[in-house]
Amino acid sequence: MMFLCAFKVPSVLHTALRNGLPFPAIACHLPVVYSSLFYRHCLYKLGCFPFTTSPKFTCPENCREPPAIKNDKPIKKEGRVHNKTAFPFSVFSAGAAERRKLMLKWTEETKDSKGRVSKQKTHKVPSKPLCAQEWKILKEESNRIKEFEEHMMQQIVISNCDINVAKSLLVFAAKESSIGYKLLRNYLILCANQNRTSEIYDVYEIMKARFKTLDTSALSLFIRGFSQTDHWEESLSLLETMKKVVVPSRRDYSNCILGALGKKKWKIAWDLYYEMLKSNLTPRLDTLKSLFDTGKDLKDDMFKSELVEVLLYMRHNRVYPDEALMWSIKSWFESIPGENWKGYVSAVESSGRCPTCSQSLESINLSQEEYGSLKDVILNDVIQGTDTFRKTTPEELQEFQTFVASHPPFDIVIDGLNIAGIFKRGCRSQILLSVVSYLAQRKLRLLVLGRKHMLNEPGIWLRQHMDLIQQRANCFFMENISEDDPFLLYATIHSGNQCRFITRDLLRDHRACLSDIQIKHLFLKWQRGHQLVISHYSPGNPVTFQPILSYDTIIQTTGDTWHIPYDMDNVTRASYEVPRKWLCLQRQNHKI
Amino acid sequence: MRKEEIQPVPSEKLDLDEWENVMKSGLPEKGSPEILEHEGDSSLTAIKELVEMWRMAGKTVPENISNEQLKVLMERSTKSYRKKYLKYLAIKERLKKAKKERQMAERKVMLEKPIEIEELSEPWNTFFLQSLKSFYDCMYKWRAAQSMMFGQPLVFDMVYDIYMSHREMVNTISQLLKTEGLNRKSPYPFHIHFCSLQTEGPYHKELLKHYGEAWDKLLITTTEKAHVDMFPKDKLVYLTSDSPNVMKTYEHDKIYIVGSLVDRSIQTGLSLANAKRLNLSTARLPLEKYLHWSVGKKNLTLDQMILILLTLKDTGDWKKALEFVPKRKHEGFVDTQNYSQEKINF
Repeated sequence: MMFLCAFKVPSVLHTALRNGLPFPAIACHLPVVYSSLFYRHCLYKLGCFPFTTSPKFTCPENCREPPAIKNDKPIKKEGRVHNKTAFPFSVFSAGAAERRKLMLKWTEETKDSKGRVSKQKTHKVPSKPLCAQEWKILKEESNRIKEFEEHMMQQIVISNCDINVAKSLLVFAAKESSIGYKLLRNYLILCANQNRTSEIYDVYEIMKARFKTLDTSALSLFIRGFSQTDHWEESLSLLETMKKVVVPSRRDYSNCILGALGKKKWKIAWDLYYEMLKSNLTPRLDTLKSLFDTGKDLKDDMFKSELVEVLLYMRHNRVYPDEALMWSIKSWFESIPGENWKGYVSAVESSGRCPTCSQSLESINLSQEEYGSLKDVILNDVIQGTDTFRKTTPEELQEFQTFVASHPPFDIVIDGLNIAGIFKRGCRSQILLSVVSYLAQRKLRLLVLGRKHMLNEPGIWLRQHMDLIQQRANCFFMENISEDDPFLLYATIHSGNQCRFITRDLLRDHRACLSDIQIKHLFLKWQRGHQLVISHYSPGNPVTFQPILSYDTIIQTTGDTWHIPYDMDNVTRASYEVPRKWLCLQRQNHKI
Repeated sequence: MRKEEIQPVPSEKLDLDEWENVMKSGLPEKGSPEILEHEGDSSLTAIKELVEMWRMAGKTVPENISNEQLKVLMERSTKSYRKKYLKYLAIKERLKKAKKERQMAERKVMLEKPIEIEELSEPWNTFFLQSLKSFYDCMYKWRAAQSMMFGQPLVFDMVYDIYMSHREMVNTISQLLKTEGLNRKSPYPFHIHFCSLQTEGPYHKELLKHYGEAWDKLLITTTEKAHVDMFPKDKLVYLTSDSPNVMKTYEHDKIYIVGSLVDRSIQTGLSLANAKRLNLSTARLPLEKYLHWSVGKKNLTLDQMILILLTLKDTGDWKKALEFVPKRKHEGFVDTQNYSQEKINF
């Protein structure tokens, strides 16, 4: 514990009070790292508790390369480099899930350090072109007489060798028997990977003549191959062919758009872009990047307004740019003639103020109408769903609704069973009691949700603890087979904007009950603004919570400024997390 | 590469574009008829061609596909959804083909055999009664009839049709068929009730499709009434894997209810919700108590359920009964020592 210093930073405290957060318990942790072990220990203490949701939800949204984890130095550095706004880590900050994963992986590694070696047998790929005779020997040597050529071509594609090797294999295949579609397609993959335009065109001619139609993967490959060449119009017609049978993927659209931009056909590019949006595809970030790059060189008013539309689309659908796109956006803004934009990379303070332009960002609080709709949705979709009996019973729901309505609004709603389970060791009721007492001392109106078995198990839930909890907070105990999380949400939303809830559950299964994507975004925004997660607990010490950001992480503009949150390249962000870094753009009219 | 075969000169001479000439040479014959086929262009032919190309590209695609199947394919919106359907068709086709081949082989053997059989089969005298299949059938029916008069009722709750897809419904019915057969063949069968079975409802239609004429002769009780209207409420126990109560002993005077539901997508708490609504007592099997559970959901299929219940009824031995839990789901039984201790405790 001596390596972990908990400070109460006055500025944080100040903003917490200003933003209506009714208790000054938010503390900022600055880890002092001495060794990898202690670093991880600190990490664990810093709210990186294992979260209680199934691993299928934890798939990161953008599957880039994970940050280097061979030695701990880069991470350590990362923690130091960010200034204080970046550090106290919230569960919703980009990379939080990744950190938890690292921590869990480490604990697993120490348990058993057995590595798995893949047993898949691979054939060695020759390094130079062989003549038919040599290929024949190779074929006989391998015990894979059937489909030898296809298999070998696959290996060539995987190891990405010289194209002449592949060609010599094709010559061999043509002599041996005939060249099948599968073999030719694998060859095409190799050509496309190595950008061999003339070869791609040859294959195209052959395939078009030999086969009636092409399958979707070959079509995609041709689109990719042609988009950057003089045959780019061919790729548009291929896209049309594809549309007859399937919805083309966003990569196909992206390649076509790139091709059109390269040939200066702006209208075609934008038509394709809107067509892609219409078929509910999210554009790839490199597509957007190429649009901005083109806008920079073009300096056209029409183009400019379209690009602003793109930014608004990104805002509406919570698409966050990566670093490369961010730089493109920045240089596009700076290149707009006569507007004198200037861009800075910034890290927004926890008060929601941008340090470079001293402007406050949009608040994370929801408007009154948004609150109303969210409340209805929670009641209808999350609690009731198709059948009220699946999560609760109508009587219990009614009882709970009257209970909540008959009490004045709460300040904090606590998921009792979740909080009590923070530590495996220690008495469960003791943990809950200390959290409740800590909050009750601050004159907060508390609601503790639990289940009825907590009252009849004096072995686990000590009677005196439970009595004290009931004295210090309002309690509602539901049936043992009812779910408590939906009630937690209902009670918090019912109590209004100042009310927060405490649980370490990320509530992803309840978010999944919501049908509309915009409501999901709204729910996530509300959750980010109202969920308190205990970052550190030890008996006898004050409880510390992870900070709640007072501003919304979303692309935003005031006309003269743009604030764009972006993903850093070395951070893997899960879908429910938000980036930590910002691009701040300001128009400097007054200085001229 | 072998070392003695270092032949740099011939490999450089190698004409790398030779294959292209080979491929292009056979073209003119094939080029012309294709254009004619393209003229009847519609989305159906387009998708047919796509299927063909996927087959050529080495994906699991059936060799023959009917127009109805193509239409189903077209209705599927995404590429992966379509591929899944094609894979399903391909596997079905392959199984069918394998079965046919096996039958052909058997027939071939049969055709060769008769001469030998005629030679061997001589009049055979015995004082034992000849055991014909019909005798057994008669005995099974007799037992089933007896159970309908005196046996313990077992209720299958047929209210889940709205929660199931067509595929799941087909699976449910096939499990019910198995269940009925297993029950009939056991020494002391249950009196099976199909409760809340709506005439002309999805369950009824599918059952009729499979049983045909035998449906009316089946020795089970089918009713449109709900189980709560037929039996006293305090005797009913809903068996569901979501229940908080663990079943301790099998009670012969209780009436157990099993929901006839197959949920390929997890639908937690569906049958529990029904039991809660009707205020019935619930129970689940003590799987954790007797088995080292490894993977998989704790809900079991209907035929596994009836095997477990039948064994429990006959022997009262949990270990014997839980043998019928699929082996892939657990890693053996809890230590026998503990097990016998537990047994004494009951």
